[in-house]
Amino acid sequence: MTKILTKHFDSEPKFHELETYRKLGGYESLKKALGMERAALLAEVKKSNLRGLGGAGFPTGLKWETVPSEDKVPGPRFVVVNADESEPGCYKDRILLTRAPHQLIEGLLIASYVIGAKDSFIFIRGEYQNQYDILEKALAEADQAGLLGAVKIHLMRGAGAYISGLDTALLETMEGKKAWPRQPPPFPTVAGLMAKPTVVNNVETLSMLPFIVREGGEAFAKIGGPKSGGTVVFSISGSVERPGLYEFPMGVKLRDVLLACGGPLPGRKLKGVIPGGTSMPPLMEKDLDIQLDFDSVRAAGTFLGAGGMIVLDDTMDAVEIAHNIERFLTHESCGQCTPCREGSNWSERILHRLLDGKGEAADIDNLSRVGENITGKVICALGDTVGMVLKGYIGRYPEDFKKRVKSNG
Amino acid sequence: MGKIVKYKLNGVEREAPEGQLVIEAAKDAGVEIPHYCYHPALGNPGNCRMCIVDVAGAPKPQVSCRTGVREGMDVKSDTDAVKRAQASALELHLVNHPLDCPVCDQSGECGLQDYYMKIGQYQSEVREDKEHKDKRIVAGPHVMLDQERCILCTRCTRFVDNVTKTHELGIFGMGHTERIDVTPGMTLDNAYSGNVVDICPVGALTDRDFRYKVRVWYLDKTDSICPGCSRGCNISVHANTARPWHNDGKRVARLKPRMNMDVNGYWMCDDGRYGFTNLDADRLGKVLRLSPVKTELSWVDMASEIAPLLGEGLAVVASGMLSNEDWAAYKSLFADKLNVTQHYFSSEPDQVGVEDELLRRKDKVPNLKGAEALGLKSGSFDELAKNLASGKIRTLYVIERDLTKIWGDKAAGLLAKAGVSILQGPNKYALGDSFTYRLPATAYVEEEGHFTNFEGKIGAYKKALSPIGDARPDWDIFALLGKALAAGRKREVAA
Amino acid sequence: MTPDAALAVKNAFTPEQEAALVAWTKKYPYTNLGLIEALRAVQDWHRKVEPAAAARVAEIFGMPFNHVWGVATFFPTFTRWKTGEKRVGICHGLTCYLAGSSKMEKCLEKTLGVPKKTATPDGKLSWEPMECIGACEQGPALQVNDRLVGKATEESISKLKDMK
Repeated sequence: MTKILTKHFDSEPKFHELETYRKLGGYESLKKALGMERAALLAEVKKSNLRGLGGAGFPTGLKWETVPSEDKVPGPRFVVVNADESEPGCYKDRILLTRAPHQLIEGLLIASYVIGAKDSFIFIRGEYQNQYDILEKALAEADQAGLLGAVKIHLMRGAGAYISGLDTALLETMEGKKAWPRQPPPFPTVAGLMAKPTVVNNVETLSMLPFIVREGGEAFAKIGGPKSGGTVVFSISGSVERPGLYEFPMGVKLRDVLLACGGPLPGRKLKGVIPGGTSMPPLMEKDLDIQLDFDSVRAAGTFLGAGGMIVLDDTMDAVEIAHNIERFLTHESCGQCTPCREGSNWSERILHRLLDGKGEAADIDNLSRVGENITGKVICALGDTVGMVLKGYIGRYPEDFKKRVKSNG
Repeated sequence: MGKIVKYKLNGVEREAPEGQLVIEAAKDAGVEIPHYCYHPALGNPGNCRMCIVDVAGAPKPQVSCRTGVREGMDVKSDTDAVKRAQASALELHLVNHPLDCPVCDQSGECGLQDYYMKIGQYQSEVREDKEHKDKRIVAGPHVMLDQERCILCTRCTRFVDNVTKTHELGIFGMGHTERIDVTPGMTLDNAYSGNVVDICPVGALTDRDFRYKVRVWYLDKTDSICPGCSRGCNISVHANTARPWHNDGKRVARLKPRMNMDVNGYWMCDDGRYGFTNLDADRLGKVLRLSPVKTELSWVDMASEIAPLLGEGLAVVASGMLSNEDWAAYKSLFADKLNVTQHYFSSEPDQVGVEDELLRRKDKVPNLKGAEALGLKSGSFDELAKNLASGKIRTLYVIERDLTKIWGDKAAGLLAKAGVSILQGPNKYALGDSFTYRLPATAYVEEEGHFTNFEGKIGAYKKALSPIGDARPDWDIFALLGKALAAGRKREVAA
Repeated sequence: MTPDAALAVKNAFTPEQEAALVAWTKKYPYTNLGLIEALRAVQDWHRKVEPAAAARVAEIFGMPFNHVWGVATFFPTFTRWKTGEKRVGICHGLTCYLAGSSKMEKCLEKTLGVPKKTATPDGKLSWEPMECIGACEQGPALQVNDRLVGKATEESISKLKDMK
């Protein structure tokens, strides 16, 4: 089975060191890229069907294409690595940074070349201090070996907010402001960091670039499905025998993933599989044979997101799960817009009441209604998920909710 | 202004400059779209999500304060679906909002009440205790803050950050712990603090001066001009005559700015906003001869008694408080008919103050330009003091000016040096009992007229209240005296 | 500002700390990009961020104080309460919750002897629940001062006091 990012993880414990990385062909792609035309490189990325692996799944080549050329908009432009992984269920970036920092750095340097960035940034969540140290070391190694070239790579830490992981909120955080998402247009590629053209890409996305440069975009595309190229790295947890990182080609069947990680746990019945982090509603038993790529999962009523897969079994209660997620969203709501700020808090309180045994039948209908009122009417995706989570769990597990209602008499 | 494009609003073909915000284009077309956070002078953060409209072809409803008009756009703001979306945004504003209406000054002019009655009218589904925050915070000398009522529209923080650039308010916390508060270590005491009360759509920021005084639905509103300085900010006088036992019996309840992009934009300063105490205190209402014995006179009798005293040795003290109509009658009487050479109406020393880049002007009177336009010139008050001291002044005619503010302790002595003295004006002032004659004049709220501001722009003010007692406008009193003079001369000629 | 308050701002930091803050204004291509890191440094030194310290940071960065205080009160890393020298975090994100984080929270409270978000009397330790820290395969996950420790168990929690 083809693996791209985690290919050497089992066999090479020192893959994070420059010497080992180079021994296995590391930084050859960078050398090749620097000898190519930037437009040619962009064409390869487009051909590859590489989709954003931080959650949104936006075609990377298309995103890069919207950066205005230097003659149209002279001045600096930036590439920012989004290493602010905070979606519950996701830990792939943590492990990719720990085991393969040079893979990311090489990808970042390739991207910086194509975009024309002289300053690039790695924005890493404050809670990944170990990974920050590893990156610092790897950057020093790369710098010493003369690999950074004309690009200055800046490390910057976040301060504990999940919303900082959203691209425009990330830029606000970097600029020393509250992490309040912006409302495009203009999009970051046109006016991003300090109003300059900025490409924000996830750790995993950029890490794919060395392979794409080496083997070509078409080869990458072939590994995956029709519109999602290459592989995807799942961070798997929950009711599984072997939690951990699993890399599969885009389009792998859910059934095969569960087989590989041993889910659900023996003796338990599958309740659902959250495919991409808790903001995404679960796939159900009937979805076991769907292909895990952005478009197929979308068609099945949820999102592939950042591949944070949580396997749920019948010992777990949907109301508790929904409450846990709404509590997370309430804590992490930035507060900028009223529907999300008030709606997440209200939903959490109603769910809490249901858990406390003080729920009424009207509460369940009300939760659905409130969810509908929030989704689509907020500034950013966090607000959207406040409603989608309510709809998703009430719709899929109505019995769990009905059980919580006070019986009359 | 971009090129004009055609678009549809609620099924009607309209035109608007390309890129104009849909909410503004709708307003121009007479269609009001509900909103809180948007304000033409403070920007469009799009955080309240009330101004949602349906744009044909867009994947989801758009906020009209952040959407620009495009050629061929098809916008709907009045469909059932849009109204439901607006109502659901409103519901989420109200989920944690305290039901303070019975004790909240904003009642009757509250954005939440208004939209609830217009597009809400639903049954509340809240069965939880609401979030508790700080209330009754004294934010500054003029403003009270109630965090529970705040809907976090950010208008007030944008005002202190972008207009006054004084940064006394901020939003602190994250998500549902967010609060509007006074910046630690600061007080909301900039010279324009009262404006945050105007822009706050709800009762979170309220006027301390107006607190609990009178319900807004008892107020009559009259267009007027602030007489506080030569800017001539357009204002609205809010008067309470319906419930005279409220507001401690005062008639004028509050002043609010009126938008005028050529003069004051949307704002007015605190000095002007709160400086109307003289309208309901220390007022004159009777025509009186005070010396030798206090005697009430009729206007006609007073005029024929005073007219002969106006001649040689007459010095007139006035100010930029006079309207254009007053100045015209003043010139006709004092300059043309009486050939008075001693005019004293300069704003120095007592009617000058702080000037700033926003609105405040140095001259703290509205209409020195009115005198200038008629060619009238003022001497200095030092000169008048000298003339009084040397006994040169036979008659001193003072129109709406407090002499103690000019000459301090010396004022009483100097006044006594005049042979005869006449005080005309709305207020008695410190020396009001020491004049020979005292004539009640209307304050600007009790008459109509015009002020010309420092840039030569003429502003009109309308009559908000009835005069007190026998008070008349200044120009009317001058005209009366003019008539009495003419009649007197006729008698002289006849004799 | 009162004279006392102004003095508190002036003396919020030692000369070395002032130099470190100034260095953050120069670290990145634009001054304001260094603000979050500067506030992180303040949290490291004082184990909280108070108005006087934030006001001094605002002065150093040339920003209005209400802006900096807004940032200081927004991000969960910056606290108004003084954390322990070892700031312990236990994740209660979905997977960790399903793996029993609530039970481990009670264990933390019992072992450390303080409720959440309160430092021990000797100032050495404090604990608080955290949203997902990205260690779902080791749940319920435990971290100390932004470094992942591993799975929270009665054993790993009892070892916290002995950490250097």
